[in-house]
Amino acid sequence: MRRAGLLGVLTAGLVTMFATISAWAEALPSFAANGTLTVCTNPTLPPMTFVNGAEASALAGFDVDLVREIAGVWNLRPDIVQMDFEGMFPSLSAGRCGMVISGVMRQATRERNFDAIPYYESSMVVIARTGTPKISSFSELSGQTVAIETGTSYGRLIDIENTALAAHGKPPIRVQLYPSEDQVIQQVLLGRAHAAMSQDVEVLYRRQQLGGKVTTIFKPDIPDFHDFAIYIRKDAVDKARLEHAVEELRRRGTLTALAHKWNIGDTLEETAPARGAPSRFDVQTFLSALTSRAFFKGAAMTLIMALLSHVTAIAISIPIALALNGRRSLIHPVLSAYVAVFRGAPTLLQLLFIWNALPQFLPVFRESWFTPFLAAWISLSINESAYQVEINRAALRAVDRGQSLAAEALGMKKSHVYWHIVFPQALRIALPPTINDFISLLKTTSLASVISLQELLAVTQIQVARTFQFTEYYSAALVWYLGIVFFFLYVQNRIERRFTWADRDKAAAHDA
Amino acid sequence: MTLNRLPDPEKRLSIRDLSKLYNEFVALDHISLDIEQGEKIVVLGPSGSGKSTFIRCLNRIEPHDSGVLMIDGKIIDQKTDLTELRGRVGMVFQNYNLFPHLTVLENCAVAPRLVRSIPRGQAEDTARRILAQVGIAEQASKYPIQLSGGQQQRVAIARALCMDPEIILFDEPTAALDPEAISGVVLIINDLAAQGITTVCVTHEMGFARRIADRIVFMDKGRVQEITPPEEFFTAPRSARAHAFLNEMIRF
Repeated sequence: MRRAGLLGVLTAGLVTMFATISAWAEALPSFAANGTLTVCTNPTLPPMTFVNGAEASALAGFDVDLVREIAGVWNLRPDIVQMDFEGMFPSLSAGRCGMVISGVMRQATRERNFDAIPYYESSMVVIARTGTPKISSFSELSGQTVAIETGTSYGRLIDIENTALAAHGKPPIRVQLYPSEDQVIQQVLLGRAHAAMSQDVEVLYRRQQLGGKVTTIFKPDIPDFHDFAIYIRKDAVDKARLEHAVEELRRRGTLTALAHKWNIGDTLEETAPARGAPSRFDVQTFLSALTSRAFFKGAAMTLIMALLSHVTAIAISIPIALALNGRRSLIHPVLSAYVAVFRGAPTLLQLLFIWNALPQFLPVFRESWFTPFLAAWISLSINESAYQVEINRAALRAVDRGQSLAAEALGMKKSHVYWHIVFPQALRIALPPTINDFISLLKTTSLASVISLQELLAVTQIQVARTFQFTEYYSAALVWYLGIVFFFLYVQNRIERRFTWADRDKAAAHDA
Repeated sequence: MTLNRLPDPEKRLSIRDLSKLYNEFVALDHISLDIEQGEKIVVLGPSGSGKSTFIRCLNRIEPHDSGVLMIDGKIIDQKTDLTELRGRVGMVFQNYNLFPHLTVLENCAVAPRLVRSIPRGQAEDTARRILAQVGIAEQASKYPIQLSGGQQQRVAIARALCMDPEIILFDEPTAALDPEAISGVVLIINDLAAQGITTVCVTHEMGFARRIADRIVFMDKGRVQEITPPEEFFTAPRSARAHAFLNEMIRF
């Protein structure tokens, strides 16, 4: 009896404990993993989400604060992943982040695939250069060029309007797509686009930054463009929990406080004082960008990514080149197909494929170990190896057959023949095209910004989005790229000079 | 001279019915020949007669298809350790095939170091001694591209000698040399013979053949047509084919 009693008490205790744990666990959404809340954002929409300062990691804005508050409600550690706008929804699908919070509008079409939880009222606006007459409907933009951000839903809106225009026999609104909101507004400033589409909150921010050079010319009332929303993968329970968390923040007054902090409250009228217009080229900005830690880290990332990928590519390519140069066998068609596919497919497509498509059928790639760095490394290595195979094949073929024959006639093993006789000579032949490819690869790494790798160009774009000083930041990036490339050209020159044995003139000069 | 049906283990090289096919084409057709230690053999014949193929079979750069190849009483076949065989049978190629990325000294020392695991210093000492022996000691630190044809030829010979071979095969050693350099090669080959090294030499150069050969092996269409001492071969060849060949040579 006593034992049974003890057992009963123990059982009761355990049941209570599990119940408590599960109740606590139930309050969390399913996408919270290991105490972390991972959120995707595209930090190019101030004041909602942007990089505030020269440090690429210094994310700020209403949305960024909101992430921290929600994570606080759930007692989770926030982990914010930056990427291109286009990359966010594929990443959400792939399970790479649990939520998208990036100044994205709540929209019926998006809600077919994702759940949207509205958190802040906003409205879409059409902006143009100050002085442009206001309009009262989209149809007045007929025949004009309008710039919009790629991946946003503004494009669909214009499509609908264009159908209506066509029905009336009017010319359509021409659309130009740009990968970030700052570039969209830049088109308006440059006069390349008549108007651009954005959110009222951003326009206010930009007006301050640009000294009132842009103005709102139209503020349509469209239900689909009323609310900023948090997006999650479809899950009724998660949705209810997130709604609950947002409601909790609203009740506490946190949302209002944030709106106040980021100056997007009820006083949202274009009354903001205009700052002085930026000069044509601000040398000070250029120099501080050039010497900033952010640019240094971006350049280091570019360099490391290029070096690592190329070394890997060379390691992959040598056995393939040897096999393809050797006797025909069953693996020949396989290796030829490898080279053809990876040489044929655009590098950008390979990056997007590995980052966004691969995790859909191999869930292991959704996990956090599969970082943008790793994905870029794999993609670029494979891509480059296909080119390197061709360089190596040509170089190995160019080494006279008599060389290995002579080495074999001296009794050398196959491995000795390759390492001591064939490779050193092939290296001399392969070196210039290899360095050429490396320089090309160094610049190709900039494509990895689409999968949120913080390399030099990504850093530049984020800084431009923050400051709107295109020329200064682009120039700083240019100087860094050229600096790295010139360094490697110098290295190539130095190495080639060491190969005196291959150059009769230099050999003779050396002799004299 | 008649040969036994069986190979003679007392000879440096004993070859019986050696044959080699390239698909349907018969490159070597039942070659039989004995070669003594220190003997200087010159293989003559028109282009495509199989003479180059023949010497390439002797160090198994071209494996033969049938027949017996015996060196110092040991049968050479697919079971033979090629490293050991090629240590015994050195080769000097027509274009020398020097390693352009290595200095003259390294060209000579690389194989003893890698194949025989001889320490670098020792291998280079040997190489220097042999370079001196062939008369180009002062070129040791140069790259092949910096040398004349005759000097490159000597490096190729020195490189083969550094493996301390018993037999050296020469493929057209005089093809790219001026008469003075050819005389130099004659002296070197005579010197090798004096050291007991057997030489088998393929050439087109009749004067050179006459000066060095102990015996001429004349080949045509993959077969040995006759084996004769040089005085006899050049004055009164036994075979009709050799006769025609010599007439052809004199005309050009």
